[in-house]
Amino acid sequence: MVLVLAIGDLHIPHRASDLPPKFKSMLVPGKIQHIICTGNLSIKEVHDYLKSLCPDLHVTRGEYDEDSRYPETKTLTIGQFKLGICHGHQVIPWGDLDSLAMLQRQLDVDILVTGHTHQFKAYKHEGGVVINPGSATGAYSSFTYDVNPSFVLMDIDGLRVVVYVYELIDGEVKVDKIDFKKTATTRSAH
Amino acid sequence: MEPLHKTYLLKSPELPPLIQSPLVHYSTMLKDKLKLPDKARRVFPDRLGSLVSGFNDKEEENEDSASETEVGKELEILLPNASGSGEGSEDDYVEKIEEQRQSGIRQGPEKEGTGLVSVKEVIAADDKRSDLEYELSQMEINLEKLQRIADTGLPEGGGLRATVWKVCKQLLLGYLPPSRDLWEKELSENRQKYSKLKQELLLSPSQFTRIKDESLKSNEQSADNDGDGLLRRHEISQEDHPLSLGKASVWNQYFEHTEISEQIDRDLQRTHPDMKFFSGETSFSRKARPTEEISPTLLIAKVNNKSSFKVNDVMHFYLQEAMRNILLLFSKLNPAIRYVQGMNEVLAPLYYVFSTDPDEQNAVNAEADSFCCFVRLLSDSVDHFCQQLDNSAVGILSTLSRLSELLKANNEELWHHLEVTNKVKPQFYAFRWITLLLTQEFNFQSILRIWDSFLSNPFGVQDMLLRVCCAMLLCIRSRLLSGDFAANLKLLQHYPEINIEYLLQVARDLSPDTSSYRLSL
Repeated sequence: MVLVLAIGDLHIPHRASDLPPKFKSMLVPGKIQHIICTGNLSIKEVHDYLKSLCPDLHVTRGEYDEDSRYPETKTLTIGQFKLGICHGHQVIPWGDLDSLAMLQRQLDVDILVTGHTHQFKAYKHEGGVVINPGSATGAYSSFTYDVNPSFVLMDIDGLRVVVYVYELIDGEVKVDKIDFKKTATTRSAH
Repeated sequence: MEPLHKTYLLKSPELPPLIQSPLVHYSTMLKDKLKLPDKARRVFPDRLGSLVSGFNDKEEENEDSASETEVGKELEILLPNASGSGEGSEDDYVEKIEEQRQSGIRQGPEKEGTGLVSVKEVIAADDKRSDLEYELSQMEINLEKLQRIADTGLPEGGGLRATVWKVCKQLLLGYLPPSRDLWEKELSENRQKYSKLKQELLLSPSQFTRIKDESLKSNEQSADNDGDGLLRRHEISQEDHPLSLGKASVWNQYFEHTEISEQIDRDLQRTHPDMKFFSGETSFSRKARPTEEISPTLLIAKVNNKSSFKVNDVMHFYLQEAMRNILLLFSKLNPAIRYVQGMNEVLAPLYYVFSTDPDEQNAVNAEADSFCCFVRLLSDSVDHFCQQLDNSAVGILSTLSRLSELLKANNEELWHHLEVTNKVKPQFYAFRWITLLLTQEFNFQSILRIWDSFLSNPFGVQDMLLRVCCAMLLCIRSRLLSGDFAANLKLLQHYPEINIEYLLQVARDLSPDTSSYRLSL
């Protein structure tokens, strides 16, 4: 039972000052085992804050990140799943699922976590699952100002992943759940 | 069987005359090294007879000689009804014995002595074992007799100890009832209850949600198998997600317990690190560690094909996990006291005895059995762990004062010296003795032996515990009397090695704590 937090596009301090207080009260240290961050934190203080939630932090470079040492993409294995991270501004058209699927095949991962669009998405295709945790602060994106703060928590348990989506809608935290099972045939081309 | 048994012991010419002392049964070392005064010899059977109610009919039984009796009682016939003159004062007796014993202990075992001891010991042990086996094979077990035999120490090996302990936790709520044919049913019922409890309380939240989802039987499955597309979102309540802070949330409760569970893990690492059973990796665990979760019974079935591994090796592999489950479950079921450091020490002997049972069935279920017995054992002393009850009539302070009273009733001089002159209050040393049932004071084998007596005492574990604590004080009486605060405290907190049989004998001889009336017969 491994809890993995997927979060990103905070754009602190340029576009937002902080995480919404309701989110902050929920994110306490000791519960989460890994954090995956898509990028655009953008400053070191945010990095330190995330590190305090969980020592195992993986970040990829977003175009506004002040720390240039983050990698463009990253892959890691948690339990039975291979996860890949990429900010997403490198993949054009931005947010296009086919292109992201191509990236996923390139990285050879089961779950690809990307951001940049500031919109939550969870999409399944034959190569695996693409998850976009959205923006945790609700910062405006290149497309729109109307962004709901959101992040994702994945519970990896054997061959099954339960994805909990936390969204702040009208000041209230709404939680949704998505189930995903990895089967032997998931990877083969249909 | 009895006549032969008697003949062998009493009339056989090969055995030296020393055998005929009744002391032999209670204290083997003692007899070899000391020349006991006559009056001491006479003291033993008389005192013993009146202290414990079960013993009252001992005399008749001896005359009958029709029933099963233990070795020691047989020998008492020898002593012609020495009317209990000259019982002397207990103090003198205890002191003399203690001094002689102390000097005796400091010498090594004498050469001539050991030969005799081992022969006699082996004989006594064999007899005891056959007595026990006979008792246990009865359909309706005579609990008193069993307790009496158990009180004198249970033989190692052969799973006898495990079985007797299970039966002996009998006085209030027995784990195993006296009728043997109910055993199977009772055992399996309790084991099932335990696994149900585990399922309910020890499940990780993700397993919990998985089971819940499966029972809902939604059509998620078909959605997954559909082609590609956006994954369906299902709204869930505020309590169902991992970051929930709600009280009713499974997740929240789980995380609240991680602290306790980390504490338990730390303590388990430290339990008896010197014993291979608790700390070491066996060859089995090194070679055949399974990668996924697998239950003990399945693993044993797999392993039985490779005959080089025994059941006990398998059980050791599960040791940490099993003990952890037991302690976690206990803490969840008792939110008032949760887990207190030291409970692992109380659990250790229980688990050890049950899982080294050569009977495969019993060893596999050692976890369930230990849990039930652990709960029963702690139920007597649970009040000691609850802080709010500290000052109440059932709390630890009151028990400590009962210990004081007991000491005062038996040896006022020592009591006065300790409490008044030295101001060494029982809180300073006896707290650990009482709450942990003496598991930290002696080595493991001695603990098992002492627990034999605890569990077989018809008045309950706590009663015997107080007696043994008092006896511990009496046995080092002269050292205590000559020490000051610092020396005494140091001595009591690192209790010296002592002959266990002797200690238990002194404990049995103590007068009850409710009065200072000395028994004279």
